[in-house]
Amino acid sequence: MKVFLSFFLVLFSVTAAAQTPPTIRFGRGFAAEEQLWLMSVRKDLTPNQGKAYQLNQILFQANPERFQAFIAGELDGGTAPGLAVIFARAQGVDMKIVASICLEASGPGIFTTQYMVKDDGPIKSVKDLKGGTIAVVGIKTATDLWARAGLLNAGLVPDRDTKVVPMGFPVIGDAVRTGKVSAGTFVEPFYSAEKAKGGLRTLFTAVDAIGYEHELLDIFFGEKFLKSNPEAVRAFLSDYVAVTKYYLANTEQAKTDLHKAGFVRTPLPVYLKTSDWKRTPDGRVNVDSLKKLATFMHEKLQWLEKPVNVDAMVDQGYLPR
Amino acid sequence: MSRLLPLAIVLPALIAWELAARSGLWSPLIFPSLVKIFNELVSFFSKSEYLMEAWVSLYRALGGFGLAAAAGVTLGMVMGRSRWAGALLDPLFSGTYAVPKLALFPIFIFVFGIGSLSKVALVFLECLYPIVIVTSQGARGVNRVLLWSAQNMGASAAATLRRVVVPAAAPFIFAGLRVALPIALIVVIITEMVSSADGLGYLVIYSLSSLKTDRMLAVVVVIAAMGWALDKGLVMLRNRLVYWEKLETYYV
Repeated sequence: MKVFLSFFLVLFSVTAAAQTPPTIRFGRGFAAEEQLWLMSVRKDLTPNQGKAYQLNQILFQANPERFQAFIAGELDGGTAPGLAVIFARAQGVDMKIVASICLEASGPGIFTTQYMVKDDGPIKSVKDLKGGTIAVVGIKTATDLWARAGLLNAGLVPDRDTKVVPMGFPVIGDAVRTGKVSAGTFVEPFYSAEKAKGGLRTLFTAVDAIGYEHELLDIFFGEKFLKSNPEAVRAFLSDYVAVTKYYLANTEQAKTDLHKAGFVRTPLPVYLKTSDWKRTPDGRVNVDSLKKLATFMHEKLQWLEKPVNVDAMVDQGYLPR
Repeated sequence: MSRLLPLAIVLPALIAWELAARSGLWSPLIFPSLVKIFNELVSFFSKSEYLMEAWVSLYRALGGFGLAAAAGVTLGMVMGRSRWAGALLDPLFSGTYAVPKLALFPIFIFVFGIGSLSKVALVFLECLYPIVIVTSQGARGVNRVLLWSAQNMGASAAATLRRVVVPAAAPFIFAGLRVALPIALIVVIITEMVSSADGLGYLVIYSLSSLKTDRMLAVVVVIAAMGWALDKGLVMLRNRLVYWEKLETYYV
């Protein structure tokens, strides 16, 4: 009797394990990733979740920690700025961008990162930043890249002519107002909050600095995970694209759901009013913009010791056709 | 022989590290080999801009530490020798000792700016506590027989302080300074990691952001060496000044 029971128990366990879809351990951030957060909040929008894959989203405050967790084998994929993936690829990390989350672009109703100064201050153009300080959110982040690009465009040498210092988004507004820094980086919802207070004006934007629309945030996966779980990734991206389309068509409802679930701490009325980054409904990656960014990082900023092969870094074959 | 004893721990640790790095079990981005770290170390010392970053961190750390030493020893002596000052200030220092002053750094940035001053001010605050508390204990615990002897021999209050209290409290003063010195270095590095465009902390975060773990660890080795050298210098100074009660460490 005991033998029979044990046999059925083992058989049941093996069958159950075989039926359990793979879990995607996914490192996420805390800004501009609305579609991904919605995948956890509104599972009714993701028909493949629980069947073809399970999603475990893990919050990280910054890219280096997220990448260290990935390199240590604690994550299968995650979100990351395109330039951070370029850095990682330059160091030989086996990761690939598989989809776009949002882009820095300009246009009506589209938000692009702003660099603001005191309205009544002496800085009228980027050239006036000579001898001053510009606050970014982190060293070698996208905000750092745009700041340096803006300075280079104006003929200034970053670090020599203008200091670039890291500072948390919440304090940059007051730092600019009190003159502790000459200019600062502003993203939503801090941009809207500071604009409402008045006294600050935009000096340049991320798109002005770079000169073209470009990838801001992307989804990456480890190459090993892609090879061993292609169907799970396809199903995940199919749901992701469906949720992105839902988000774009029902932004207010989606934002309300995210706020209710605690993914966003900004007061709901403010959050609903803030303009959003450009999101492509099909999740396709602007590969050309990544190539230009990689060239800029290598040639102008000397952030890369050697060029990075961007084509080998992006694989859009897992996105729905 | 005793000076070589720490190598019994350090050498196996280094060998274990190198074996782990070469095992292929971990990514070299997490466990870079000692050879790579050494190469980065050589590169560090061959670049004047890197040495400049070390100097920036050093002067910030020593600036804050020096100010804290001056203020802390004075305050500690006053608290130790004056019952009234002790009753007034003891609860303040004891009650707020555990507060992580680093949490105040954003406020310091607003008051003192992003440059060196905010970092020096925070180093000063962090270092002040151990110096004041340990110095006051030393000043309070001066042997009464020594004090009575000085008074019986007609020593003035100033002479008693200079010839009896300060020498008797000196081992405590240096103990406080030894506790505070590494704190100075740690605080400087952390503040530079949080918000700075220069210094070794900035180099750490810059290397980390580029996923250059070998370079980051080379900077950590430099920081450790600086801490070791500073402590050694302080112990040597202590043993010269407090010659009647020498401190025995493995390196002095």
